[in-house]
Amino acid sequence: MSIEFFLPLLAAAVQSGTPVLYATLGEIFTEKSGVLNLGVEGIMMIGALAAFVTTMLSGSPILGFLVGGCAGAVLSGIHGLVCLVFQGNQVVSGLALTIFGVGLADYLGTPYIGQAAPGFNPLPVPILSKIPFLGSVFFNHDSLVYISYIIPMLMWLFFRYTRWGLGLRAVGEYPPAAIAGGLRVISYRWVGILVGGCLVGFGGAYLSLAYTHLWTNGLSAGRGWIAVALVIFAFWDPMRAMVGAYLFGGVMAFQLRLQAAGTHVPSSLLLMLPYALTVMVLVFSSWKGQGTEAPAALGVNIEPPD
Amino acid sequence: MGENSPAFIRLESISKSFGTVHANRDISLDIHFGKIKALLGENGAGKSTLMGMLAGQLQPDKGSICLHGKPVAFSSTKAAIKAGIGMVYQHFMLVETMTVAENVFLGQEEGFFLQPKKMEDLVKDLAETYGLQIDPCARISDLSMGEKQRVEILKLLQRRSQLLIFDEPTAVLTPQEAIQLFTSLKQMARQGKAIVFISHKLDEVLEIADEIAVLRHGRVVDSLNRSDVNSKSELAQLMIGRDIMHKIDKRPLEPKQMVLRVKDLCDNVLKHINFEVRQGEVLGIVGVAGNGQKPLVETVCGLKPVEQGDVSIFGEPWYRFFSRRSWSNALCYIPEDRRGLASCLNLDLVDNFLLTTREGFSKGPWLNKREAEKKVQGLIDAFGVQPKDARILARQLSGGNLQKMVLAREFYRRPRLIVAEQPTQGLDIAATEDIWNLLLKAKDKAGILLLTGDLTEALSLSDRIAVMYEGRIMDTFYTHDTQKINQIGLMMAGIVP
Repeated sequence: MSIEFFLPLLAAAVQSGTPVLYATLGEIFTEKSGVLNLGVEGIMMIGALAAFVTTMLSGSPILGFLVGGCAGAVLSGIHGLVCLVFQGNQVVSGLALTIFGVGLADYLGTPYIGQAAPGFNPLPVPILSKIPFLGSVFFNHDSLVYISYIIPMLMWLFFRYTRWGLGLRAVGEYPPAAIAGGLRVISYRWVGILVGGCLVGFGGAYLSLAYTHLWTNGLSAGRGWIAVALVIFAFWDPMRAMVGAYLFGGVMAFQLRLQAAGTHVPSSLLLMLPYALTVMVLVFSSWKGQGTEAPAALGVNIEPPD
Repeated sequence: MGENSPAFIRLESISKSFGTVHANRDISLDIHFGKIKALLGENGAGKSTLMGMLAGQLQPDKGSICLHGKPVAFSSTKAAIKAGIGMVYQHFMLVETMTVAENVFLGQEEGFFLQPKKMEDLVKDLAETYGLQIDPCARISDLSMGEKQRVEILKLLQRRSQLLIFDEPTAVLTPQEAIQLFTSLKQMARQGKAIVFISHKLDEVLEIADEIAVLRHGRVVDSLNRSDVNSKSELAQLMIGRDIMHKIDKRPLEPKQMVLRVKDLCDNVLKHINFEVRQGEVLGIVGVAGNGQKPLVETVCGLKPVEQGDVSIFGEPWYRFFSRRSWSNALCYIPEDRRGLASCLNLDLVDNFLLTTREGFSKGPWLNKREAEKKVQGLIDAFGVQPKDARILARQLSGGNLQKMVLAREFYRRPRLIVAEQPTQGLDIAATEDIWNLLLKAKDKAGILLLTGDLTEALSLSDRIAVMYEGRIMDTFYTHDTQKINQIGLMMAGIVP
């Protein structure tokens, strides 16, 4: 295969990996605070729909993108209500959120099926996009992709070098220590849930505004679940999340190209490829790591003081 | 500062009860700067409750706490820390994945960005001032228990605590680490901090304390200066309320029929284990934990199949014995984990009793609870369990009382083979003696297999001793064989004398 095939493929890998990257980063942020949110798939769908409809009505994709993030935060707020206020089971609440979000988005989105919205278009970065190879792979995209390059670094800095990041990690690792240190652990978890939900919402918004530019039922197609898996693959490290997301995006782009080229392989098998591969990578990467990188208090509710 | 310096903290007639249990009754106590005060008492005497109120965990029902002569009330640990009172708990409040410096400053930093260098330097300075050696950049998960404890102390020092309370701090330490801790406690006292040291170990208290307050059944029975204490036994008598029995009544019995025979038992850990236990004798298996005791017990008690070799119980082969439904009556197992394997903490004592003994208390599918409750009440009286309430939840009993209840339940079935695993681990002196006497009394009717890491226990109870090391029995001998007894330590380390 030639460079003419590969360069566009790699560029497409970055683009189709971006929504998953946003969602993975959001889930990492939430899980770092010790909350497991399995509602990613539903939150993505609601984010995608909210962004799409807002853009249709207002004509402003930037506003749409922001509203998508807010919608994600609001929906994950339900998870916060269940888990932080009522001490509900995090797994059950998350699963319910996925079912609810996917169903609601499909229902409310029915009138928009097949419609196109003005979205984000490629905006090559001056100078950087002229770098041979790297330029066309990484710097010839829309602005949301560039933002997604910066977020992992910001998150990394936040966790490592800020007071709040230290607090958030402590709450996710061992809440009694955080309480003893005088931190307001429930507030930290709220921040974890809402900021994480917002990032997941951005992931959904990217799907409808920059990836497809149109609305269909089941738009996220399991990408939310892939994000949940990639959190484990990434060992809760935002930088590693980029690797996982682009790997998924790469296989996604590859199988689309194969379909377009018209192979004899059934398209449903090809469609399965990115998901199957992600699961396999997950299995192999967890083989050695014993899951020790997971926040120790992940999924464990904090009992309110008597 | 002299004896007459004003008390930094004065507790005045503090009372606290949980339900019907009076944990603290009318306690008054003075704590001074620059002194180490020991709170001596058995488990359940109310030491931790009292200090919990000082550290803001609990609120007193009655009485007051005066700080520098002014009454204060701490609504939370945070408020107590602000007032300069901090506690080092037995369970450390540390985030394992973070560094020492990060843990010390958790929740204390200022500004948005952390300054790792500055934090590390501050921790290093503090550590040097008080003689607490630690690497501020080390991860907590890489530290020993003693080092973790030092981090906890540093946390309090960083928060400018004037009073540091230590809840049985040596329980998790090696002897060397304990000596280091004592050195830094003395250093802290010299620099003007007030120290409270909670313990039930007489030697420790005598070594470190300037002042000693003895608690018994929720009351302060005596407050004295270290210099006023003449002997250890005097202190022990105050603590227990009677003399320690220095001798346990171990009557040698004529061993009767065989109850357990293990022949050439092997698996991936055990290597050719051979021994037998007869009715009327105690065989003590001593060794450092993790040398094969677990698989041995599990095999004998039917929790793990025999892989290779023969085990026979009451003369019956292992398979035949455990394939019958009524086997359990004659064999009883006292597990090490009394709060896990031996009891359901959220059930009351009657239900816990019925867990292993349904015979005689059931009709068809129905349980006869009233009958069972009467029986349990009788057992509680006979075995001296406190509090005397059959409807109390298992979790509300102290370790010693729960263990007595477990023995009461198991012995009710008149076992002929008793497997007891670390039966007095973590119990105080009085409870330990009670348990030992109960076991010796049961020896009449049964053969006892005792697994323990405590040599005193093994020697006090056993007729014969087997030393276990890396899945092998090093040697088996009678306890009157003094030459062999003196070599147990070597054998436990795997050295054949």
